[in-house]
Amino acid sequence: MSQTPETTNARADFEPFIQIKDNYNFWYGSTQVLFDMNLDIPEKQVTAFIGPSGCGKSTLLRSINRMNDLIEGIHHTGDITIADQSIYDPSLEVISLRKRIGMVFQKYNPFPKSIYENIVFSLRIAGRNKKSELDEVVERSLRGAALWDEVKDRLHESALSMSGGQMQRLCIARAIANNPEVILMDEPCSALDPIATGKVEELIHELKKDYTIVIVTHNMQQAARVSDRTAFFYLGKLIEYDVTDNIFMKPSNEQTEAYVSGRFG
Amino acid sequence: MPKSQHSFTSIRPKGEALVWFTGMGLSVGILLIIGLLGIILKNGLSMFWPDTIYEVQLVEGSTAGPRNGQNFAGAIALERHKRLQEATNAGLTSEFQFFAGNKDAYGQMYHYVDADQIVTDATGEPLFTPASGILQLERIEFGDALGFPLEIQLADGTTITEPEALKAALFKTIEESNERLETYTKIEKKQIGRINSKMESIRLEQRALREELGEAAAETSPQIQELNEQQAALQAQYTELAAEARELRERRHQDSLLLRLATGEERRISFENITQAHFPNEMSLPGKVGFFLKQIWRFMSEAPREANTEGGIFPAIFGTFVMTLLMSLAVMPFGVVAAIYLREYATQGVIVRAVRISVNNLAGVPSIVYGVFGLGFFVYVLGGSIDELFFSHKLPTATFGTGGVLWASLTLALMTVPVVIVATEEALSAVPRGMREAALACGASKWQAIQRIVLPASAPGILTGLILAMARGAGEVAPLMLVGVVKLAPSLPLDGEFPFVHLDRKFMHLGFHIYDLAFQSPDSDAAKPMVFATTLLLIVLVIVLNLSAITIRNHLRKKYKGDTF
Amino acid sequence: MNRYFHKELEEIRSKLILIGEKANEAGRLAVEGFIESDLEKTQAAVKMDDEIDDLEVEIDRASVRYITLRSPVSSDVRLIFVAIKASHDLERAGDEAHSIAKKTRTILTRDGKVKNPVEIEKMSALAFAMMRDAITSLLDENLELAQGIIKRDKEVDRINKENYTTLYNEMKGEHGDSSTHVETILISKSIERIADHAKNLAEEVIYLLTGE
Repeated sequence: MSQTPETTNARADFEPFIQIKDNYNFWYGSTQVLFDMNLDIPEKQVTAFIGPSGCGKSTLLRSINRMNDLIEGIHHTGDITIADQSIYDPSLEVISLRKRIGMVFQKYNPFPKSIYENIVFSLRIAGRNKKSELDEVVERSLRGAALWDEVKDRLHESALSMSGGQMQRLCIARAIANNPEVILMDEPCSALDPIATGKVEELIHELKKDYTIVIVTHNMQQAARVSDRTAFFYLGKLIEYDVTDNIFMKPSNEQTEAYVSGRFG
Repeated sequence: MPKSQHSFTSIRPKGEALVWFTGMGLSVGILLIIGLLGIILKNGLSMFWPDTIYEVQLVEGSTAGPRNGQNFAGAIALERHKRLQEATNAGLTSEFQFFAGNKDAYGQMYHYVDADQIVTDATGEPLFTPASGILQLERIEFGDALGFPLEIQLADGTTITEPEALKAALFKTIEESNERLETYTKIEKKQIGRINSKMESIRLEQRALREELGEAAAETSPQIQELNEQQAALQAQYTELAAEARELRERRHQDSLLLRLATGEERRISFENITQAHFPNEMSLPGKVGFFLKQIWRFMSEAPREANTEGGIFPAIFGTFVMTLLMSLAVMPFGVVAAIYLREYATQGVIVRAVRISVNNLAGVPSIVYGVFGLGFFVYVLGGSIDELFFSHKLPTATFGTGGVLWASLTLALMTVPVVIVATEEALSAVPRGMREAALACGASKWQAIQRIVLPASAPGILTGLILAMARGAGEVAPLMLVGVVKLAPSLPLDGEFPFVHLDRKFMHLGFHIYDLAFQSPDSDAAKPMVFATTLLLIVLVIVLNLSAITIRNHLRKKYKGDTF
Repeated sequence: MNRYFHKELEEIRSKLILIGEKANEAGRLAVEGFIESDLEKTQAAVKMDDEIDDLEVEIDRASVRYITLRSPVSSDVRLIFVAIKASHDLERAGDEAHSIAKKTRTILTRDGKVKNPVEIEKMSALAFAMMRDAITSLLDENLELAQGIIKRDKEVDRINKENYTTLYNEMKGEHGDSSTHVETILISKSIERIADHAKNLAEEVIYLLTGE
């Protein structure tokens, strides 16, 4: 198996917004989990990361907002840039980086606070407490997450009283409250029922008008449905990266073909 | 697997025996607890119930009873089989313990009488007839008096002997006498106390001036003159108030009641010595219940008398409460902060593991060791330094350099801090990782995530730790004996006198009170009901403190409810 | 809940309608060219065939893409299946129109004028009505209309057979114009085929609507 990432065909037809470049490698302690990654992610599109468990797709996603920093003993080579600015730039504080990047997790994880306080959390920690501003952000975020009509009358009730799908959309609303440039989604629908999944997918489709979205998913149908571009990873390597139609209809790599057609392994 | 187990499991369903075994363990535990609580409840509450007073008739030639063979009146405190000293052919005989009161007349309040010394009825049972019209008096000194009222003599010379009028006059006089007591106590404690503290500060000023100006010059200085005038004015006020108080006292002293004891002699009791009277054999059931509740209230709200064997235990309840509260205030932040560092910030490794094991082992150190440490470190080192720095003018009288409620609370806080640390660590680690990640992904710093998300979410678990700490702290006695508990504290650690909270004061504690009553009391028979009642109250206090913490915890849980927990 | 990709399904459906309209239009132009001896209409009919072929390819491609990326089920997957089959039928109908037009052109270039002894006009009117109704039934999801179309095929078959007999007999009697007669027989046959495709389309609409 020759492992030259076949990304060149997908390059150059867009202006990259997030760039994973200079052969990005990543280690947990002495275990290397990402190998020689080079990947350009377009602005205001949905890019899906697919691949079997342990292929490194979540690690790569979490590298983008440096969430991996929480783990001890990590190191990397290569670089990741967002709008041409390196995320590893020593003058850039990781906190301000994360303010530019919203993140939605696999298991919906609203804070044990009211719906309102969940959304304004990122503003409050930044010391922005003006009521009119907060109110406005809450309404905008909830409308953006297609949740406003459902919860506008109970903003001050506990977020944990909502349904699973609503909680995940609340997490999305929380992620966009700070007006980020990028939204990272780590298997956002894996804990949701099909209806809620459908709603979240609709939401992703709407959000890409304003945000650059990177989504990790185990569900290939979901990747096919929501993404514009898809990257297939296997064993820490980027196998193929192309527009979603090509990945699913005529992948150029045998492994991709086998994976998307379910013949893998 | 050993062979025997094979044959065992083939006969019965697997694990059945173990289920029974575990169930049995639980039942034994519950039975023990119920038994213990039952004993405490029965003995503790019976102290407040007005017992019927019987006339005890002794057989001819008996030498038993308070007056060597004379009939007497008393309540049955105990009936038991007598432990026979010598082998007799009589078999087992019973003996009775009677509460006869009148310690001043009989020397002791409880008397053992063998059953065969008591006149029996037709069926051979001891004959007890309720003593009609007997009066039970609660006194400040010498315990209760039992007897038949004969006359009341008032200070103005009136004498009342007619039974009905006497009854009415008795209760009225007790009421008036108690009012007088209240009045002159107020005068002596509050007003005179205030004058005294003013005089004291004047004296200190005078001394300071004399030292500053020199003995001779000071006498003529205007400041001293002014101070002397003030002193004289205060002295005049004092004399006036003291006279008023003395008059009231005198009046109380002169009112008196003449009582005929069941053994025949007559005794005159001054009303200043009487706090309450009741006719136990003439009370209806609701009357008894009312009396019972009133007694409980008095027990909880009054100060002890007679070397703690009489009166209430309010200072002990209050002391325990204040100490437990102070301990909670100290242990909570201390334990939580330590746990946060241990769990969230410290690099997990050998050292942290060692620290954690040490903390857990601290919980197993005998509490008296903490007492010794508290005495050595808090009282002598810390307290001593504070005295030198801030209260040097009072030396050699120690302020903080002696045991007090602050040092006791801190000692107990130190003792219970492992419990809080362990519980807090558990609670912190139970907060889902996703919640922290979400906070960090929102751009929070680590401290912000802990402070705004992790801590509130783990509050119920932290409170559980506090509940355990409180339960342990409130019931602890041994270390307290070294760092501030006393048998009798003259004043409460919290009162209306500036600065209201007196952390340096010694205090009373229910646990120590129990020990004191049970083992240090001069009359152990008299103290026994008090021991049980005090134990009961200590248990109730711990339950109340725990229940309030549990209520707060449940409230928090409801607030943070959801399937993420 | 309507998903954003359901729009793609509607696009496929409207393309299907469009290819139907075009096939019908091409057939009408071809037959009119034959009846009116109008070379221009004939040429127009020939040209439309390419558009129809392109549309079929588009529909096929969109259908495969929809199946691959949207994992459709139930009525959605039937619609895709029908779209593939119906676009094929309609493309074939377009082909028949193309062949009518080419034969008419041959006749016109050779004779200058079509001499038609048989019932082409009525037959084609029947066939195109069937086709139009089939497309309408797809558009309106009208089950009754689609079911009615199937019976109407018999009449077209009968006329075709008559035409064949008439022309065959004429060819046996007079020995002048046999090549025009052969071409007319083929044109008649093509119209009959168009009616067959209309019937197929109706059957597919029935499948789409009932799943049977």
